[in-house]
Amino acid sequence: MLVLTRKLGESIAIDDNIKIVVVQIKGKQVRLGIKAPKETKIHREEVYQAIQDQNTEAVQADLSSIARLGEELKKK
Amino acid sequence: MKVKTTRFGELEVNPGDVLTFAEGLLGFENLKKYFVVDPGDSTLILWLQSTEDEKVAFPIIEPKIFKPDYIAKLLPADLNGLELESLSNAKLYSILTIPSNVVEMSANLKAPLVINSDKKIGKQIVLQDSKLSVKHEMYKELKTYIVNYSSDDARRTNVEPSIALEAGDLKPTSQVRTLEV
Repeated sequence: MLVLTRKLGESIAIDDNIKIVVVQIKGKQVRLGIKAPKETKIHREEVYQAIQDQNTEAVQADLSSIARLGEELKKK
Repeated sequence: MKVKTTRFGELEVNPGDVLTFAEGLLGFENLKKYFVVDPGDSTLILWLQSTEDEKVAFPIIEPKIFKPDYIAKLLPADLNGLELESLSNAKLYSILTIPSNVVEMSANLKAPLVINSDKKIGKQIVLQDSKLSVKHEMYKELKTYIVNYSSDDARRTNVEPSIALEAGDLKPTSQVRTLEV
């Protein structure tokens, strides 16, 4: 992994079209601004982890859970 | 072709109905081939069943059913990966999580499945909208929909949910956007 040191307001360029700016530093938090082409996907890493967890949980469902859900939905 | 499944037993599947998820689903990257099973029950829930692992099947539902105002805004990169030229051939599904207390069921609105029905290609797309939840509780809305659905015969012919997809700019541009992550 390439590690670079940056000060507030400084930035990093990736390729010709992506720029990451240190916008704010507050204690242990760093606020980053990212300039990138529209088609670039940018997400917090936790988002992927959360989706992976949901997918793993989703496949636990079986037909008995659906049957129970069907019963519950029928109740007035 | 015959496909073994733990939930539905052995199924006869038309090879033309098999969907390819080239990137797999998050956490299931090694499984690429799926097909949709419609058990035809009252819950309106379908299953995305793997042909490669009999145990893997995701309960899915069309999000319009419980969230009529839901829009999945796709980026050009998403559309390219799906070889989608227009959105009219696309189908949109949310993956459901159904815990033992079924009323706490939830849908993943952040990362829906988009399927190109013509080309039989699918993709789980992570939407950029940060307000969308991976765990959107929707039991009440589903119940309301089903109650209306079964009590109103006139609507029954008309329940096919329209597709809530929106294309971003189709042509990749060099336009710059600023995001704060």
